[in-house]
Amino acid sequence: MDKPVELLQGTLDMLILKAVSLGPLHGYGVLLRIQQISKDRLEIQQGSLYPALYRLEDQGWIQSEWGESENKRKAKYYRLTPDGKRRLECEEERWKQMTEVIAGILRTTPEEL
Amino acid sequence: MSFWRRLIGWARALGPQKEMESAMDAEMRFHIEARAADLVRRGLGQAEAERQARVEFGGIEKAKEECRDARGVNAIEGLLRDLRFGLRMLVKNPGFAIPAVLILALGIAANTAIFSVVNAVLLRPLPYQDAERLLTVWSFNRTRGFTTNLVSPLDLEDWRAQNHVFEGLAASADVVYTMTGSGEPVPVTAYAFSADYFQLLGVRPIAGRTFLREEEQPGKNHVVVLSYAFWQRHFGGDRELIDKNITLDGAPYTVVGVMPAEFSYPPRTEMWTPLAPEPQAAGDRAYRYLRVLGRLKAGVAISEARAEMNAIAARLAREYPPSNRDDDAINLIPLREMITGNVRPALLVLFCAVGLVMLIASANVANLLLTRAAARQNEVAMRGTLGASRTRLVRQFLTESVLLGLLGGLLGIVLASWSRKALLVMFSAGLPNLSIPQLEKIPIDGWVLAFAVGVSSLTGILFGLAPALESSLDASERLKESSRGVTEGFRWRRFRNVLVVSELAMSIVLLTAAVLTLRSFFELLTGELGFRPQNVLTLRVLPPSSKYGSDAKQIAFAQELLRRLGALPGVQSVGAVTFLPFSGWYGHRTIGLAREATPKNQRPEVVWSSATPDYFEAMGVPLLAGRFFTAADRQGAAAVAILSESLAHLLAGRDDPIGQQIEVAGLAGPVEVVGVVGDVRQLGVTAAMAPEVYLPFAQVPAPILCFAMRTSGPLPSLPKAAQNAIWAVDKDQSVGFVMSMDELVSDSLAPERVVATVLGTFGGLALLMASVGIYGVIQNSAQQRTHEIGIRMALGARTGQILQNIMSQGLKLVLLGAAIGVTAALGLMRFISAVLYGVRPADPAAFLAATVLLGGVALLACWIPARRATQVEPMVALRYE
Repeated sequence: MDKPVELLQGTLDMLILKAVSLGPLHGYGVLLRIQQISKDRLEIQQGSLYPALYRLEDQGWIQSEWGESENKRKAKYYRLTPDGKRRLECEEERWKQMTEVIAGILRTTPEEL
Repeated sequence: MSFWRRLIGWARALGPQKEMESAMDAEMRFHIEARAADLVRRGLGQAEAERQARVEFGGIEKAKEECRDARGVNAIEGLLRDLRFGLRMLVKNPGFAIPAVLILALGIAANTAIFSVVNAVLLRPLPYQDAERLLTVWSFNRTRGFTTNLVSPLDLEDWRAQNHVFEGLAASADVVYTMTGSGEPVPVTAYAFSADYFQLLGVRPIAGRTFLREEEQPGKNHVVVLSYAFWQRHFGGDRELIDKNITLDGAPYTVVGVMPAEFSYPPRTEMWTPLAPEPQAAGDRAYRYLRVLGRLKAGVAISEARAEMNAIAARLAREYPPSNRDDDAINLIPLREMITGNVRPALLVLFCAVGLVMLIASANVANLLLTRAAARQNEVAMRGTLGASRTRLVRQFLTESVLLGLLGGLLGIVLASWSRKALLVMFSAGLPNLSIPQLEKIPIDGWVLAFAVGVSSLTGILFGLAPALESSLDASERLKESSRGVTEGFRWRRFRNVLVVSELAMSIVLLTAAVLTLRSFFELLTGELGFRPQNVLTLRVLPPSSKYGSDAKQIAFAQELLRRLGALPGVQSVGAVTFLPFSGWYGHRTIGLAREATPKNQRPEVVWSSATPDYFEAMGVPLLAGRFFTAADRQGAAAVAILSESLAHLLAGRDDPIGQQIEVAGLAGPVEVVGVVGDVRQLGVTAAMAPEVYLPFAQVPAPILCFAMRTSGPLPSLPKAAQNAIWAVDKDQSVGFVMSMDELVSDSLAPERVVATVLGTFGGLALLMASVGIYGVIQNSAQQRTHEIGIRMALGARTGQILQNIMSQGLKLVLLGAAIGVTAALGLMRFISAVLYGVRPADPAAFLAATVLLGGVALLACWIPARRATQVEPMVALRYE
């Protein structure tokens, strides 16, 4: 397994939005899903997850409700709002553009200049 | 984000606090438990799994704090918590809280009190409509330097007709009446107003009406508008008085209106009558007796108005050279400036001084806070480790200091409202000075309150910010320090030293200002007046022309009064004069040697008075050459005059002035100089000695009689007896200004006295605060060095050496502060020269006195803790932790 990479500044919000876009999740579930999808290659400060969740909820991009977890415990579930869906699309688009631009720069060879 | 969501968020924050907190708790607990369960599934023991789950999660409190922040609601909730906590900390530390609140209260009280005066005098809108467009308009005689010359009716007529900048120009002239008909005759300070005057000011009567245009005609002008105060005092606010008659100078006048209480213009006026043209003025353009007020048209700049009016004056000067050649310009002074002219510089000086007081107080409290912050290090470090962010800590500290500031402010406002009475002395009601506004009370209005609260919270932030930043720095680092190391607080101590040095420097500045103004005031008190004011009673009698129209009648009346007053028991001498020194009344006449061909309009214009023979003796004005007037200097005899010393010098130079023939404007022929008397400060203590010519009352009578009675000692019954003596001659004659000369002199110094007292108080406060500040620093540093001192003493250091060691630290601070302070004061003191008389702003004695005083007291403040430190038992000191 590769060594976990640290999360790029500002990308946590996008990952959370993506995670909950696949279905409602509680906080711990968000963590698990990101780790699962990334095959444990991303390192996330667990404590920092919650301020991000609260911030996203405060912005109106996700909303929460209390529900029952897999093992019959009370847990707080987050789901994507329509606003959040738009936001996620927007972020994805931006991310794509940015990676293309940066990849383009990194690919550049001396001959091309 | 939508406004509503924000609002709901805030409401949620203010509402069920606990619910949100417990939800947050439950959520995070769930996370950790779920994680632990997963770890158990992977084969860890229960206890180990829980521990690891917690470690992986990181700081729970920190996460919660960030969650609260993320909600955007933390601010309010945090503020409330900080406030509660801050209040608890203050209550728990009275030794810190009480001095801090007291120091702030003193500073804020001083600021609020001074601001309330500044507000009342300089800032509050004048009670007139669009008052900023009101200007006083004066003739400007550039040749003689008369900046505020009165205006002749003929000139005013032309100004009105030719200008395009004023909505209107209204005229007034001062008049004096005697009101009779209800007990003792009452002298009345009145102003004659042109009919449009009230409209120009934009004021309405509260009862009745003001004047009609036709009431400016002689014959129709026996109507009067009363001031509210006069109406209340003499008629008990009787509304039925309108359209009834009162008796002024023996003639009936119909009361047509009463002005509102807040209206008294010009200051201290009791009633107004219509301005009817004086017959002499009809053909004489040089007959200047009007004060003119103008209202600029909307949108016209004062510079524009000045240019046009100057052009008009220059045109009139060309057209009428005999009367107008020198009055070829106009002076425009905004109404507020005119009213506040004499107190404005004093107020500005006080306002700046009080700002310094506040800075010193802030530095002082900042110092106290730093001391306390040192004691609170562990608390801060603990909270930092538990997850409080630096911003959070700084906010907590700031909340506490703003809370301190506001508590101080509250107490300060109470103190300030008590001190307002003392400041009212500045606006003596007894003085007929148009440049000192009339102020019966200093209101604490919304602006003053806003100012006090603003200053309180601003200083709270000012003195709290530095300690807050300082103590929240490296919070966690500090926890690791197990003991008070020597290196600990090095930066703190330096910061405290900076505070103390600036306190000392600012105190030197304030003390220097205080010493200078006190010296200046002492100069004024002991300065040469030119007369002896002790045991002199004065009163003013204005014989109405309706009764004493002819010269002979006036002279006979005066002589009869002199005889009666002179016969009163205890009176040594009595004399009368037209214009009493310090009374604010004076007249000018041009004067010149008869043999010199100097054109009349180039001759000097000097103060004049008619005086009776014994006036000089009664007033204590010394004879320097020749003789006083005698009973023989009467009508029909040779015309004579007495000159003041400086006038004699001005006219005759080195020649003997006695026997010279001089020409005085307004007299039929030349008069002979028979005596020279000492110069008198006719126009007040703060004015220069004015050259003056005296004429014998029996040759040049005037309808103003100011009596001066010299007694051998204080005679409290004299005022009543003198008035009765006058009423025995004429029961309808009013008697005004019954005052001792001492009182008059003292009243005229009221603004200077207030400035000196207030600056003196500020200087004392500064001295006290700076001493407390340096005491605190030395005491604190001595305490921290207890251990070290113990070692030194155990090793055989003598008490003297230790004392010297500690004192040298204090001495360094004092010297540095003094050096900075003196340098700053040298630069700043010229700004207070406007309130200094007879003292140079760079007076070395004042600087020396201030420095020695502050240095002495500050070193004493160092010595006390230094000495205490040396008295500690070495063994106790060694064990000191």
